[in-house]
Order: sequence, then structure tokens, then C-alpha cells
Amino acid sequence: MNKKKLVSLFLAAVMVCAMASCGSGGTETTAAETTAAETEAATEAGSGAETEAPETTGGEAAGEAFTPKVGVFYYSFADAFISSVRAELDAALTEAGIEYQNYDGNSSQATQNESITTALSSGTNLLLVNLVDTASVDAATTIIEQAEAAGAKVIFFNRAVEGDDQEGQVLNAYETVAFVGTDAPEAGHLQGQMIGEYLTENFDTVDLNGDGKISYAMFMGQVGNVEAIYRTQYSVEDAVTVLAEAGHGTADDPALVYFNPDNTDKYQADQQGNWSAQAAMEYMQTNLSQYSEANGNMIELIICNNDNMAEGAIQALQNAGYNNGEGTTTIPVFGVDATESAKGLIAAGSMTGTVEQSATGMADALLGMVQNVAAGETMDAAVEAVVGTNAELYSVSEAVANKLYVAYSAYTGE
Amino acid sequence: MAQEMLLQMKDICKSFPGVKALDHVSLNVRPGTVHALMGENGAGKSTLMKCLFGIYRKDEGTILLEGNEVDFKTSKEAMEHGVSMVHQELNQALKRSVMDNLWLGRYPKTAGIMVNERAMYQETKKLFQELEIDVDPRQIMSKLPVSKRQMVEIAKAVSYHSKIIVFDEPTSSLTEEEVEHLFRIIHMLRDRGCGIIYISHKMAEILRISDDITVMRDGQWVATRPAAELDMPTIIKLMVGRELGNQFPPKTNKPEGVSLEVEHLSGQYTNLKDVSFQAHKGEILGLSGLDGSGRTEVLENIFGVATRKSGVIKLDGKAVKNKNSGQSIKAGFALLTEERRATGIFGIRNIRDNTVISSLGKHLVGHLWLNEKSMKKDTQWSIDSMRIKTPSQETKIRSLSGGNQQKVILGRWLLTTPKVLLLDEPTRGIDVGAKYEIYQLIIDLAAKGATVLMVSSEMPELLGICDRILVMSGGRLAGEVDAKTTTQEEIMTLAAKYV
Amino acid sequence: MKNPVTSIKETSARYKTLDAQDKKRFWVDGILNNAIYIILVIFLIYTYTKNPLIVSPSAIVNLLTLVAANLPMALGIGGCIVLTGTDLSAGRIVGLTAGLSAALLQGASAANKYFENLGEPGIGMVLLVLLLVLVIGGLVGMVNGFFVARFQLHPFIVTLATQMIVYGACLIFYNSNGNNGQPISGLSQAFRNFVTGSILPKFGGLAIPNYVLYAIVVFIIMWFVWNKTTFGKNMFAVGSNPEAANVSGVNVFFTTMMVHTLAGVTYGYTGLIESARIASNVANTGTNYESDAIAACVIGGVSFVGGTGTVGGVLLGVVLLRIIYVCLQFLSVDQNLQYVIKGAIILLACSIDMRKYLTRK
Repeated sequence: MNKKKLVSLFLAAVMVCAMASCGSGGTETTAAETTAAETEAATEAGSGAETEAPETTGGEAAGEAFTPKVGVFYYSFADAFISSVRAELDAALTEAGIEYQNYDGNSSQATQNESITTALSSGTNLLLVNLVDTASVDAATTIIEQAEAAGAKVIFFNRAVEGDDQEGQVLNAYETVAFVGTDAPEAGHLQGQMIGEYLTENFDTVDLNGDGKISYAMFMGQVGNVEAIYRTQYSVEDAVTVLAEAGHGTADDPALVYFNPDNTDKYQADQQGNWSAQAAMEYMQTNLSQYSEANGNMIELIICNNDNMAEGAIQALQNAGYNNGEGTTTIPVFGVDATESAKGLIAAGSMTGTVEQSATGMADALLGMVQNVAAGETMDAAVEAVVGTNAELYSVSEAVANKLYVAYSAYTGE
Repeated sequence: MAQEMLLQMKDICKSFPGVKALDHVSLNVRPGTVHALMGENGAGKSTLMKCLFGIYRKDEGTILLEGNEVDFKTSKEAMEHGVSMVHQELNQALKRSVMDNLWLGRYPKTAGIMVNERAMYQETKKLFQELEIDVDPRQIMSKLPVSKRQMVEIAKAVSYHSKIIVFDEPTSSLTEEEVEHLFRIIHMLRDRGCGIIYISHKMAEILRISDDITVMRDGQWVATRPAAELDMPTIIKLMVGRELGNQFPPKTNKPEGVSLEVEHLSGQYTNLKDVSFQAHKGEILGLSGLDGSGRTEVLENIFGVATRKSGVIKLDGKAVKNKNSGQSIKAGFALLTEERRATGIFGIRNIRDNTVISSLGKHLVGHLWLNEKSMKKDTQWSIDSMRIKTPSQETKIRSLSGGNQQKVILGRWLLTTPKVLLLDEPTRGIDVGAKYEIYQLIIDLAAKGATVLMVSSEMPELLGICDRILVMSGGRLAGEVDAKTTTQEEIMTLAAKYV
Repeated sequence: MKNPVTSIKETSARYKTLDAQDKKRFWVDGILNNAIYIILVIFLIYTYTKNPLIVSPSAIVNLLTLVAANLPMALGIGGCIVLTGTDLSAGRIVGLTAGLSAALLQGASAANKYFENLGEPGIGMVLLVLLLVLVIGGLVGMVNGFFVARFQLHPFIVTLATQMIVYGACLIFYNSNGNNGQPISGLSQAFRNFVTGSILPKFGGLAIPNYVLYAIVVFIIMWFVWNKTTFGKNMFAVGSNPEAANVSGVNVFFTTMMVHTLAGVTYGYTGLIESARIASNVANTGTNYESDAIAACVIGGVSFVGGTGTVGGVLLGVVLLRIIYVCLQFLSVDQNLQYVIKGAIILLACSIDMRKYLTRK
């Protein structure tokens, strides 16, 4: 009897293996085909771009035009927003007939550096880099110098290459470099603004225990990440300012107080650094076991570094009987990213607001940069040209001419 | 007299929680002699040696080496003072080469940091020539048979220029020829003025090689006498504290019709070639031969734990598949393996788990769960009928003595009600009293109609309890002899036939 | 089990016979062997003095749910550790099955529906998906087991490899069907009721979610499997000495494969539960879950030595780990210091456990 079972088990296992290998084999071939197709298209497009380029830039090309072979280095394939950018950029580059290859940094700067070395050695001449270590001047410089040695150009995107106090340190030092992204503190500022305005309008509803203070919880995505730090800092600071202007508290005696006076960090961070819903959910669940309306110390506001954590916090709230729409008390929850599911929650009334970063805008800006640079433009000129296409969405940094900002916008479902 | 002594251990005491393991034991070793240390398992021989080497801290007593008091903290310290030991259970780095093992911890160095491989090789080669050991120093340890590994261990002791060398059961895995070789080495060391402490259960060897004999019993010193004054019955009497009439129980089994037939058995990955024989119901069939002659392989191939190339096995006239141990057990076979620790016991599990593992099917209720009560009952039966000395069924098997462990495994197999018992060195490393009990069990089983195939390196044992003996040589069957009429010489001649 | 009263009497009688040195050793051994419980009690008492809410009903329910969420996976991995192996693919399998469960059980009105043609799933669909993820988890586990058993590869390597393969599959899944890596949420009410709803009686006025009940069921099943079945006995035999098990008629290949398969099934189950418990699933869901599970097993006495461990021990390990995590949060310990404390406790607990297996001299 054992034998039959064993045979069937073995067959099952073999089938799984076969299926797995079929699956991967299948994708490989498709990948190869696309690349081949892309190469053909790229050569055509390359010649096309050369003729078009002078028209758009006014004929002041500082370098020679070249056929771009693009390497796109994402910090992590698992990130929701980055995945949106990737989908958009894949579509845009394919449509434009530009040869490109994607790389997953898997949240490790070392992995990303290795992929870059490999890509350069295989002839990649234009790097789109979504740096893993945000605002690490050293990481950025290493990549730039490697690229320069190989005669390639680098466009950083999304994650900052230099902190606010270091502005220009990298970008001004090299001519073959540009940055396309958001002004890192802006998301925090926007979030704070949004929170402040929301609280001004609904102060008494939100202040459940009527003590004139809003006690808030803050969920941080990753310790030591610049964007996380800015968002954590500015969202509260700006909200306090807005509230103070409206007559709620002052800067020294703010109307916003962290719910747990013993926690000097004034945030709870995902210890794995994953900005994950699970971390926020488990923190919030444990918080709710100590802080409740019955005890008169309920958390009255939740600020999250991203929407994923906001969703986790909402889940914990819902389990405790909050934020279930009509008839239940709603604790306002704010996130950043405007993921589809967050928008859904906002529509359902379980979440209050988020900050939108346009993935399409980011992808379009990157494509524009690639095309302009390939046409022989300098980085500064390329940035200027892209900003010219949509002055509402794009802007140039005041301090650094090769830094292109894609604007954030508040999203509250209205 | 006293200053003549090379090593004096005086009034050594050692107790463990609840047990007095050594009670004022003394041992004096003269230079240039072989001093045998005898006693049943648990008599305290190993504990005494461990106190000498600092593996255990002695509670009381003094140890004098050449008249100076010593108190070694580690066996390495002991070795550096010229006291070394060849262990019963070899602790070697099996994945490393012979010479790496030999010089472990004191590699010859170049410029203080680099290991000097060449010097290491030369030294080893020289040492091996001196001791007539035929082993390539660069060979990987695990590729050597146990006997060769033991030779390496002996060479290691010699290389430390030891004054005292302790041999703990050195011959348990050696063939007769290798034993001769070992004795030559021991004589050579003795003639150099070394003191040899020789621990063994084998009376004949001891009487042949020793000058003095010390007997211990239950942690106490019993007697120290010149070997010339002693004979086997006297030693046994001293050891067990009573008269042990015979080394072997009377044979009560009577071979009947043929039960097991093996035809043209060849191994796929071993040297076993074209072995055919028959065994009868109620018969104890011995398997003799040198190490590597294919004795163990015969058993493993019959039981299906080694891959067969060809051959047919029939039980009571019907062919059985025996492709793996599960099938073999179902067909009525049982295999007691040679290396108890490596392939026999589940050390970390308790006696009950160790006992019922091969007969779990019996205890299934509704094909689903196991009946604890019936497992307890079976285990108790095994403990009672094997006379296993254990505090409880829940005791971890590794805390039992070798003999008791062997009985647990034998019990495990008897619970599968086997028709054919394949026993590989069933009495290795077991003391005299327990050996006798195991012989009795084997004979009783045969008397009840089981067929027993028994591999052993101890010739007297085979002659003592077997009916017929098959002799293996170079993977082939060299001949068959009648245990009642044959001699050791005849068997040795056959064993060398295809070497 | 012995009668506790007689066993205490026996112990005290034995204690009286000991000399001063042995008496000291008796206490030292006693303290070290029960150190895990002692740490637990000290931790709780200290937290209580700082923050009495740690013993409030809501804190207890919170702890209960955290334990229930982590226990099944630890029980699965425990089996692999009994075989002296490990399983690094656990977290990724959870990620994949969580994503699948969420995608198949989204509400009809979910904002970004993965399978647009699926309607509002009912309880029948939930059970069907449960079965599906159990099978998927089991299959991946079986692949792990097959390579471990057939080629004698160390499970570390095998599961390291499958971990990557499963993660890749997970990324492909999240980026397919126009989802572009977006979190999958908007789960159906039936699904959420099944997992986080409550049919148990309230405790201190607080609802206890269903997955606590399921965790109890899983625990009982695993207790049964480990202690009362041939498979369980064989598992311990293989873990203790595979060579001897082979000779003793145990099918080592089959046992190894089944242990990993069973582990995979627990990950599939965890995936479904996590999917609804967290309610927002991304490709990174489940990442590093195995590290907590392995730590819990080892703290609970499932030793890497192999062949030893109990289901109760795993439970104890999970509870201990969770209590520590919760206490650290109740004590508002600095985030950076939390890492240090967690690491130190795991190291300490494992050393104490390993102490039992060291040869005593």
C-alpha cells in the first residue's frame, strides 16, 4: 500500500517541478523575445530621436546623441508605489522603442551596486537608479563614478540621493547626473497640512475625551530612512502649526500629543524596515489593549508613513469596533502613496486622507529625460525641457538645476 | 619497590549524584609491563581512566607519575606529560586526512604560522614504518576501516613519546591478524620501557599479553596479581564475584528444515559477489571472515539496506523482495547492526520509543493513533524478558550501558516476531555477564524455531554457540564448516582464500 | 505522569541525602533548567509594576491573538527542526498564499479587484480557498521535502532556494492582471468574519477572534500527530538517528517529505489567516516570519540537535516570545534597544536549552 502512495506522491512532486520549470521556461522565452524586439525597435527609434531632438531643444545640444541602452534599477520590486512606476515606465519605454532592462535591488545597496557593475559591463549607457540607501551621498557617488568611468549617464529617481542640508553636494558635482523625484519633505508637509486642516474643521468630533488635546499614534516605515524621518517629523509639526493658527494650542503647548508620554521616540517603527501593514497592525492592536475610550485615553488620530501601514492600523481599529463606516466611531487615519486600496478605504469612509504621488508623472518624466539625454542634451537642459511639458506637475529645484520634482498632491477622496 | 613504579594511583574516589563510582581504588603500573584492567561494564574502569586524564575531577586520592604527584586538567595536558589513551570509541576528525588527525593541535609549523605539510608527511611516514602500519598519511580518515583508524590512534599515542599508554578495548573491531599486529606493537612499546594499561573483556588476549592483572568490581578494587598466577575461571570469578560455570550456555536448539535460501547474491556498490547458502529453522549460522570480507554486506543485502545487484532470497520456499527495511520486517526479518551508536539506538529518545519503533503497526487503533497502553506493555515485556537494567521506560537510552542498549535493540526486534534474525557483532563491547545473557537469548530464539545468522569477529563465540559457520573472503563465500568439528586454524585458512 | 505530591516528596527526600555541594548544584540546576519560566515571570512582574494594564482583559486577548497568529507556523517549522533541519521558505509561502487568498476573496466592491470576474464570495468559497492554499503550501513543502530526502541536501540550502522561487512567483502574481504591485485588500465580509469574526464567548467584554479557535484546533491536531501517530514516532526517530531509523523499518524518505509537507500546510494556513488579519497584502507580507517561528521553537526546547521537542514546548516558546514583545511595547522601551533585548533573550534561552544536551562531566 505504501508503494502506491509513494509513487503518486512522487508523481505529484515531479509535476510540481515540471510545472515550475515550464512556468519559468515560458517567461524566459518571452523575456528574450521582447528584448530582441526591443533592440530592433530601439535602433529605429534611435535614428528617429536624432532627427527630432534638435527641434525640441532649440539646437543647443551639449553632447553627442547616442542610442540609449537603459538599465532601470529599482530599490525593491516588492514596494507598491515602485511597482506602479515600474508598470508605467515599462509601458512607456516599450512604446518609445527604447531598449531597457529592469533590476531588483531587493532592498540591498550591495545587490544594486553589483547589478550596476554587471549592467555597465554589458554595455548599458544610461542608468535609471532608484537608490536603495536613501540620501546616501557615498552610495550615489560610487555609482556615478562607476558610470562615468564606463561613459554612462545616471538619472536617479524617486529616492533622494542627498539630504536637504547636503543639497547639491552630489548633483552639482557631476554633469552627467540628474534626479527625478519628489521633494522628500514635501509629503510630510502635505500630510501635516491635510491633518491640520482636517482637525481644525472636526476638532471636537476627533477629541473623544474632550480634553482639548488630540492624542495621536505615529507609525514609521523604517528607522533611519530619510523620507520616513521627514514624514514623521513634518506631518506633526505642520499640523501643529495649522492648529495653532486656528486657535488650538500653540507651538510650545501643541494640541497634538503623542498618545504614550513614556515613549520618547514618539513613533513606533517597523522593526524589519518593511513599512508593513503587519507591523502597524500588531502595534496598534497592542496599543488598543492599553488605550481605550473606557480608560479615557483612546488614540484619537493615526498618522502613518505610508498607506500600507495605514491599512494595518485600520484593520486593528476595525477589529476593535472602530472605522466600520456608518454607526461606528471613526478614528482619522492618514497615509502616504494613494494606493488603490487606500483610495478604496477613503471612499468607504474607513480612512481619512493620503498623499498622492503620481506614478504616471514619474514615468513620463523619466521617459522624457531618457529621450532628451539620448538626443545629446545636457542634464540641465533635459530637466528644463521636461518641466516645460507640464509646469503644473513638474518643477526644478531652486538650488540645483538638474533636480526635477514631481509634485505631490493631497488626496481625501473629494 | 615504590619508586620503581611508573604510575601509581592511590585511593582514588569519585562519586556522582547518588552513585559512588570509585571507592578507594588503587592501581600501580611497573615500567616495561602490560597491566590489564578488568571488570564488568560499570565496574569503574573507564571512570578510573577518566580521572587519570582529568576528564573527571577525582574527589580523593593521589596520582604519582614517576614518583611526582600529578593532577592533569585535560587529556591534552596528560598527553604532554607522556600519558595517552587509545579510546574504545574513536573520536577522530573523519573528513580530515590521517596526518591531520595525528598532528592535530600541534602541527609542525614553518615561520610560526604556516603548517608544514611536508614535515608532517615525513614524520608520519617515519612513524608508520616504525610501527609497520600500512596507511597512506594523506588518506582521508573516513575512507579507512575502523581497524586502520585505530592503528592511527595508536601511532598518535606513540608519537607523543608516551610513558603510559592506555588501550581501551583495542581489539573489539580488529580481525585476528590485526590483533597480532597490535600485540607486536604493544610488545615493542613494552620493551622500550613503557607502561601499558590494557582494558579488555577478552580473557584469552589478556592472559596472553599481560604481566599483571587488576580486577575491579562495582567501583572497588578486588585484586592485583601477576598474570601467570591466574586462569580464566579465576578471573571471571573475581570479576563477577561468583562462579560462572561456562562462557556459553548449553545449546538447546535443534536445526530442522530449510527456511532461508540465498541464491547468487551480489551487491551493487560493494564487493559482495555470488553468495549462495541455506539456513535452517532453529539453526544458528555463523558468518566469519576478516574485516571487509563481506560478512556485514551479506546481512545488509538480505535485509535490503544495501543495494542488491542480483540474487534471490527465499523464505520457506517463497521468494521475498526485501527491497527496504520495511518490506524485510514485514517478511519476517530483523537486523541487529554492528555499530550500535551509529545505526542502532536513538540516543536522545527514551527506552519505550526505542523499543516500539519497528513494531508501531501493532499498536495502531483504527489505523490512526497509537495505543500508549499497549506500547507500555510491550516495552515492559522487553525489559523483563531481556532483563534490561533501567530505572524506567522513560529513561533515555544513551544513559544505559552498552549491554543494556544492545538488549533494548534486541527487544525491539523480537517484538516484530522475526523468523530470521540477522545479528551483526551482537556482543561487541559488552561485558562477560551480559554476553552470557545475550548468548542465552539467541539460543532460546533458535530453540523456538527462529533462524539466526550471526556475524562475529570473536572466533570462540562462533565456535561456542553456532551450528555451522560460513567463512567469507574478499566478498565471496570461501567455505562452510561445522562448528562442532572445525578449528580456528581451518577458519583462518578459509578466510585468507580470496584475499 | 507521576503524582505531583509523591514526586515532590521523593525530591525532598532525595534532597536531604545530598551534601552541601550537591545541594548547591541542585538549586543551580533547578534555576537554570527552569530559567525560561523564571525569566517569563520576572518580565511579567516587572512590566506589571510599571504598567498594570498588562494583566487587563484586553491585554490578555491581545496576547492571545498574537500567539494564535504565530503558533501554527511554529508548529510546522518545529517538525523540520526535529529532523535537524530548518525552513527558510516559510515566510515567503505565507506571502504567496496570503496574496492568493486575498485576491480570491476580495469583496465584490473592492477598489482594485484582482480577479474582476469574481463576485462576492460566500463562506463556501472561503473554505474552498482554504483548501487551495493548504494544498499549495503543502506542495511547496513537499518539493522542499523531496529534495531534502532524495538528495540529502541540507534543508537550509533547499529552502533558501525555494524561498527565492516562491518570492519570484509572488512578485509575478502581484504584478500580473493589471495589479502593478498594488496591495490587495478590500476583502469580503464573509472572509473577514471567518477569520476575525467571533463565535467564541466574550472574554472580559472583548470578542476573541475565530483564528484563536482555529489555532487551538491546529494545536490539538499537531499534538496528536506528534505524540499519537506512527508518523510522529517515525519523525522523532529520523530526527534522532536517520541511519538507525532506516534499519528499523522507518521509511526515512517518506517521513522527511511528509514533515516538510505538513510544515508547508501550516504555512498555507497561516497565509490565509494573515491575509484577513492584516487585511492589506503586498509581496512582502510574511517576510522573515520564519525567524520568529524558529526562535520560538528553539526557546521552547525543540533543539537543533534533532529528535527532541514537544508541541507544548513550541506553544511555550511562542507565548514567551510574544509576551516579551508585548512587554517591551508596554514598557515603551526604545526601539533600538528592543532589538538588543530580543536578541539577548533568544541567545540566553537557547543556551539554557542546549545546556541539557551537553555532555556532563
